[in-house]
Amino acid sequence: MKPTPKKAGTMHLDNVAPDSLQGIPRQRVNPPMWRRTSDEDAKDTWPAFVSDLKDLGININEGRAKRAIFVTDAGGLSYGMPDGVFSPSSATDIAEILKAAQRHVVPVTVRGGGLGTEGEAVAFGGLLLNMSSMQRVVDIDAKNLTARVEGGIFWHELAEVLRRKGLDYISAPLNFTSTVGGVLGVGGVDTNSPKYGLSADQAIALKVVTPTGEIVECSPTENSELFNRVILGYGQFGVIAEATLKIRKFTPMRMNYFYYSDLRTAIEDLRVIVEGEASDYSGILTIMDRAITLLVGFDSKEREDEFTKKTEPKLRGHGEIGFGLRMAIYYAFRPWKIGESLYLLKRRLLLFPDLMRREFTGKDGEIVDRTVIFSRAVWKHWGSKKMTIPDLAAPEDKFIEAVERGNAVCKKYFKYYTLYCVGIKKKQDAGDNHYEMSCVPKDAVNFAYGCEFEPSYGGGKYSRDKLQSFKNEIYDIGVDMDLSCYRFGGMMKGYIRRLFGDEVVERHLKMKQEADPAMILNKNTVF
Amino acid sequence: MSEKKKYKVDVLVVGTGPASAAASKRLVDAGLKTIAIDFRKLPRHKVCSGILSPRGHRFLIENFGPLPLKALHNPTSCKGVTFHFPSASSMPIDFLGGSTPHLHRKFSDHWAIEQSHVEVHDETAFLSLTTDGKKAVVSARCRGEAIEYEARFVIGADGPNSPVRASVYPEYSSEIPWFVVAQKFQPIIECPLDLDYFHFWINPKLGHYTWSHEREGRLIVGVGFKKGGNVDEHHKRFEDYMRDKHGVRLGPPERKEGGSHNFGPSIINRYVFGKENILITGQAAGFFNMLAEGMSCALHSGAIAGEAVIESLATRHPVQEVYREHIASEVNRSTDQYNPIKTVFDNVHEADFKSALKKLSRGDQLRAVRDLMKFISVYGDLNWGRQILGQSIRRLILGTYSTKRWL
Repeated sequence: MKPTPKKAGTMHLDNVAPDSLQGIPRQRVNPPMWRRTSDEDAKDTWPAFVSDLKDLGININEGRAKRAIFVTDAGGLSYGMPDGVFSPSSATDIAEILKAAQRHVVPVTVRGGGLGTEGEAVAFGGLLLNMSSMQRVVDIDAKNLTARVEGGIFWHELAEVLRRKGLDYISAPLNFTSTVGGVLGVGGVDTNSPKYGLSADQAIALKVVTPTGEIVECSPTENSELFNRVILGYGQFGVIAEATLKIRKFTPMRMNYFYYSDLRTAIEDLRVIVEGEASDYSGILTIMDRAITLLVGFDSKEREDEFTKKTEPKLRGHGEIGFGLRMAIYYAFRPWKIGESLYLLKRRLLLFPDLMRREFTGKDGEIVDRTVIFSRAVWKHWGSKKMTIPDLAAPEDKFIEAVERGNAVCKKYFKYYTLYCVGIKKKQDAGDNHYEMSCVPKDAVNFAYGCEFEPSYGGGKYSRDKLQSFKNEIYDIGVDMDLSCYRFGGMMKGYIRRLFGDEVVERHLKMKQEADPAMILNKNTVF
Repeated sequence: MSEKKKYKVDVLVVGTGPASAAASKRLVDAGLKTIAIDFRKLPRHKVCSGILSPRGHRFLIENFGPLPLKALHNPTSCKGVTFHFPSASSMPIDFLGGSTPHLHRKFSDHWAIEQSHVEVHDETAFLSLTTDGKKAVVSARCRGEAIEYEARFVIGADGPNSPVRASVYPEYSSEIPWFVVAQKFQPIIECPLDLDYFHFWINPKLGHYTWSHEREGRLIVGVGFKKGGNVDEHHKRFEDYMRDKHGVRLGPPERKEGGSHNFGPSIINRYVFGKENILITGQAAGFFNMLAEGMSCALHSGAIAGEAVIESLATRHPVQEVYREHIASEVNRSTDQYNPIKTVFDNVHEADFKSALKKLSRGDQLRAVRDLMKFISVYGDLNWGRQILGQSIRRLILGTYSTKRWL
């Protein structure tokens, strides 16, 4: 018997005053704990689910200590305890679990590295599927430059395997514990995204376990509909058990840095580089809006030389010494900003050596492994148990305004913060719906730009309410300017309809209800 | 004699109101064993105007889902506040976030605590508490039977007369000024006031806190004054005033109710947050928004108390330290509303007072401001003026209120 579709994904508008809260349709973003019952009757469905799986040799861990490992994510604001945890070792395991979950209406939350910040991979009861147990590299085809991996592998682990053969993945988030499966579901942005696009666009085939427990091989040519839904599908349409990725020859990264004290100028220069395809890697990393670093990287000496000849003369940034002198003059006339100047100086002294450590760089100072360098630096100098990184993604023409408005919000809330801006090349042969309901805004022509707004606070002295208000205010800009954003699930899902519009969301919800009749896979994350 | 009933929990929350529901939601989500106790049988009656601020409304929806109709009174929503002055014309101000719900506290509180999925022990009265900083033992009584709770943390979310606060600071209640707030429900014969609004009188002759709004076809005639005054006298004066000034004609009161409240801690930044592993939150801690709306800050401060416990367990930092660091955002929000500098140069209220004032004629604007200044003088004998000013200047220069003034 097939379970009937649930209304679980529909958004309930407040019945008090339809126009309440400035016409903003609010919804429950902190989901209720699953009560271990299906909606029809009050029977506890969990024990039957567990015992059904036990008969198949799948033993769910119900120990409190094991479950508590997954109680929160990198955001550290959203908390939820699963009723049980399972670490699968094959697609068959996942298929059996999803079949049983459909039967017993048990929510299943899939988790990779747990690097979400909005509780997207936090289980509010039900089963937590810990994918980091599926980390094998299945096959490397050095001739055709592809690699087949399991969904739970960390990109960095893949890099370690590939580099032994002089190969490298193409693009991935600069973080040690991002998983392939997680990133293909949401996007993935690297400093080479202006050249290669989203990390998700590097996938060429997938082995997906659908929410009803079928194991399906799919690609742009085979079962293409499923493939297109799962890529950038926010984990709603299937679990990625295996993926085939495009790879490339390994090259170290040759870095150039330009310094700015004006945000607008720096972003204009970033656009010159990105849209002129003048570099292989680029991005902006700031300390507040005072010290803005434009990073430009290259895969080869030739590319670097070409840039130095053609593009560099157009840029308005300074070298480190020139910029240091300018800063010194600026602060000399503003003695009341002594605290800020000392903070900048401290950041400079602590952060820069970490970006250029000898053990991670080649003899010309080129970066051998950008993930190691950047992930270490991010977690050491920005990270805490509460990563708060709201972001805005804008088409070319709206980006500067979006960053400036977001910068003003950062200033209002925090003394110290960082902005991280990067360009993303749109896949040109992608269908119309490829980027629908994703971080790439619908009106981006060739490139989309993203900016993360990250407060730097030592230790975590702010309440969730304060951080949430900050995030809301950033996302309000997105709604106002008709932009998109990267982290729209979980606690931020109240923005989904406002950012993407009812028509798109309803259509996706309908697809979800068809694919997942009991609405069990990553319930509450998006719908 | 039978053996005493004992429970061992991570957190015991005393009270089942909004602060408790919010704290419980956070604690239960984080997988902590939590029990909430209340001395009454649930759902319990609650004396309250029931008007929630937009921010509180948002918290309820985002954390507990859409409000069921049962949790609302008629009319189900309120558009904003109308101020009435003795000499200036009346001034309606819409809430910034649109209409807000008119809560039926008996059912809305019960709904919220149910949505938090916390285990509730009702008809269980808190009696006393001992703690060694790591483990608190709470004695309680349920229908004549003695119960003992052993908890790693206790959260006192038990309202203005908080027994938990009294057990930590026995002297506190006698050291602060108390206000009586009483409401009568009178059938409406004729009422020219716009019943979509909550009405408030800025009039020193009527008392410290004088309000009215509609509920289930009755008009609530509400008065508030310093403890020691006479309820009936205040009511009579207010009813006569409404008749003469506004032409409101009402039938005889069908019901009256009231209670005593601790306005003040929010105004002068004298909050009470507890000691060691005993956290005090919500109205017990002294949180009140402008116009005595306590629910939205109860919800937020309660949530912060819950989050502080979770973070303390995760980071091994002392819970009071974490709680006090986190609660600063809520303190700023509440106390800013009474901060004259913030009021003039910032937008700290959830209704736009300044633009409503601008809509009045120039003469009325001056009269309204003069009436407002006269009204503030009602609070003169409490000696809050200098404290408010001191705190406001500190906030301006350092950006924060003094944490040393908290208990």
